[in-house]
Amino acid sequence: MIEIKNVSKSYVKGKKSVDNLTLEINDGEIFGFLGPNGAGKTTTIRMITGVLDVDEGEILIDGKSIKKDPLEAKKNFGFVPDNPDMFLKLKGIEYLNFMADIYDIPKNKIKEKIEKLTKKFEIYNELNNQIQSYSHGMRQKIVICGALLSEPKNWILDEPMTGLDPKSSFDLKEMMREHSKSGKTVFFSTHVLEVAEKLCDRVGIINKGKLVFVGTFEEMKQKFKEQASLEELFLEITEQE
Amino acid sequence: MRKILTLTKIFLKSSLSNMNTKMGMPSNVKGKHLSKILYTILFLYLAGIIIILSYGMINGLKGIHQETAFIGLILFSILGITTVQSIFSSINILYFTKDSEYLLPLPLKPYQIILARTNVLIILEYIITILVGLIPLTLYGILTNMGILYYITMIISLVLLPILPILLISIIVMIIMSFARLTKNKNKFQLIATALVLIIVIALSLSLNNIDENMTDEQMAQMLVQANSMVKLIKGYFPTLAYLTTALTSNTISTIILELLKTTGLTILGLIIYTLIAQKLYLKGLIGNLFSGETKKTNIKINQKQYKNSKLYKSYISKEFKTLIRNPIFLIQCLLPAILMPLLIIALLVVQFKDMSDVTALLENVDANSFVVSSVILGIIQFFSMFIYVSITAISRDGKSAVFIKYIPVSLYKQYIYKSIPNIIMNIITTIITLIAVKLIINLPIITLILLFIISTIINLVQSILMIIIDLKRPKLEWDSEYAVVKQNLNLVFPVILSMINIMIIAILGFLLNTINVYIGLVIVGIIFGIITYIINRYLYKNQYNLANKII
Repeated sequence: MIEIKNVSKSYVKGKKSVDNLTLEINDGEIFGFLGPNGAGKTTTIRMITGVLDVDEGEILIDGKSIKKDPLEAKKNFGFVPDNPDMFLKLKGIEYLNFMADIYDIPKNKIKEKIEKLTKKFEIYNELNNQIQSYSHGMRQKIVICGALLSEPKNWILDEPMTGLDPKSSFDLKEMMREHSKSGKTVFFSTHVLEVAEKLCDRVGIINKGKLVFVGTFEEMKQKFKEQASLEELFLEITEQE
Repeated sequence: MRKILTLTKIFLKSSLSNMNTKMGMPSNVKGKHLSKILYTILFLYLAGIIIILSYGMINGLKGIHQETAFIGLILFSILGITTVQSIFSSINILYFTKDSEYLLPLPLKPYQIILARTNVLIILEYIITILVGLIPLTLYGILTNMGILYYITMIISLVLLPILPILLISIIVMIIMSFARLTKNKNKFQLIATALVLIIVIALSLSLNNIDENMTDEQMAQMLVQANSMVKLIKGYFPTLAYLTTALTSNTISTIILELLKTTGLTILGLIIYTLIAQKLYLKGLIGNLFSGETKKTNIKINQKQYKNSKLYKSYISKEFKTLIRNPIFLIQCLLPAILMPLLIIALLVVQFKDMSDVTALLENVDANSFVVSSVILGIIQFFSMFIYVSITAISRDGKSAVFIKYIPVSLYKQYIYKSIPNIIMNIITTIITLIAVKLIINLPIITLILLFIISTIINLVQSILMIIIDLKRPKLEWDSEYAVVKQNLNLVFPVILSMINIMIIAILGFLLNTINVYIGLVIVGIIFGIITYIINRYLYKNQYNLANKII
């Protein structure tokens, strides 16, 4: 469970990039975080993951404050950043071993977990190559594997579908569904409205730092125009502000 | 022409902004001021060295009425430095800047891109020309009472001289990039280029080493004249060097104008030939480089042993070393100096004191096991440590993925320490090499050597931790090529400054406590640096979160 309570953040004095954001992502839920470019999505994700400090408010991951108890809070989530270009000089297998050490994965489980995830994402045969030789999509896949290796209860994914081929994208969505069905949380940002519509239990729309809508698609339709497409609704909500 | 100028401006801006440490955050006035101050210190420091050297050389040559040889030597130095510098800058600016990918689809003619990139190369080279050329030649003008004509000729010469060697090196680079398979592997190219430069530098150092320290001014001047005869030989290959030397040493206006015209004509001809060749070669190599990744495939089968489980600190430090070793630029610039610098300097000393009995004689009157000698040894180790750039680039090397350290469940303090350990290890290697050499030259008791090792390691902790703090405060995370982390990063001045400060502290202690027992003296140095280490370490621990504020 992820709780965001009255969180604000400013990069420049007097201009809030995230303004008094309150949001609860419940266990067993897939939550899509939508918004136009520069709306505050990435800033929010950075605050949830402890990359950025909050100016005001509090963020709890399974009851642990990311500010007061950062290490415990960080153990409770797996994070996939929007840029998968990391540790390019490491081989895929070295990167995953490193992630396994960070998250204290027992020795007897490492092989099984790495094989299972990398075979699912079809990068098992690439593990002996340096990550710099991978395509964008493959880099995205190895970062996802690294984040999911410890089987974290909460998944936080920043634009996870970018660069994935249809099969991997499908598999990831399936995995997200399975994860939420087992009572765990998925929080992800996306620009692809169709993905959010088909996958998410609830969505949040952020615009100019403020949360302008939270709820299911049905609720969105009821609140705004019933016959409108998701795209039309999104544009109406974000342009209203 | 307008497009070339616009492109030049943009390329230059991005090249120069690479030199500042920007984090994609609103620019910080304090940081900019600090950068300016650092640049000024660096410039004044280098300018000071050049002025002192030039003054000595000009006066020496004046003594034997051969002062005009100085001009040939300076122009030759510019030529040499420009050539070596161009090997790296041309490959990086022409091929390894990422904006090339966005330029190709634009409606630009190949020659416009090439000439704009070449302009950047030339303009950046002028920064070095100011130091190596403008300062000494102005000093020469002042010391030999030259008139205004000399200064005008000097400026025109300095503008023209670097152009041809840059064009020549760029053409060679383009040929290699177009025909060799190296386009697919910039790492190999940079490794080979750096190895070549290293060999040249070592060869030059060894040849310069023949200078006898007890040489009189006159002998020194004679040697410079001899060197000038080598310059004359080179002039055959670089005619502009001959023309400009004549222009600068002549008093007749007609000769000066003629020589300058010849140089200008040759430079323009060079530019035309360059543009024609580059039009054919540049894009071919560029596209090859942009759109072919490193395709080397290894064994796909994962060995059971490859699934490893290690203690976190082992895993983290091994990751740091792997990234350092597998990246040729980081390997050569950050790691290898730890081994090469002491080896090179010790080798040079050994060559210089061919007959070791000189040293033994020198040391006969000195008590080797004294605090003063130990202070000198500590100072030498500190001198070598200023070339180790592992800690000072520990955060910057990760680039945009540095943010990783903030979202994993490992304390930031621990990660800073893990990141500084490779620097500590490299420093230990430097210390061991130096102490072995010391043991071979002077007979120090083992206990003194052990104490020296321990104290050097304590001082080394100060450096390794402090440099991480500086890199955290001024990280350079936005870079296109690894080259920018080590070559366009002002932070690299800090290891030099800190080593100087450490050497000063050691020297002051050595001076104040010169009569003290060596062991007591060393323990005092150990305690002082131990306290400094403790304070810096506490600072790092207490501010671990604030220090990471610039990593986003």
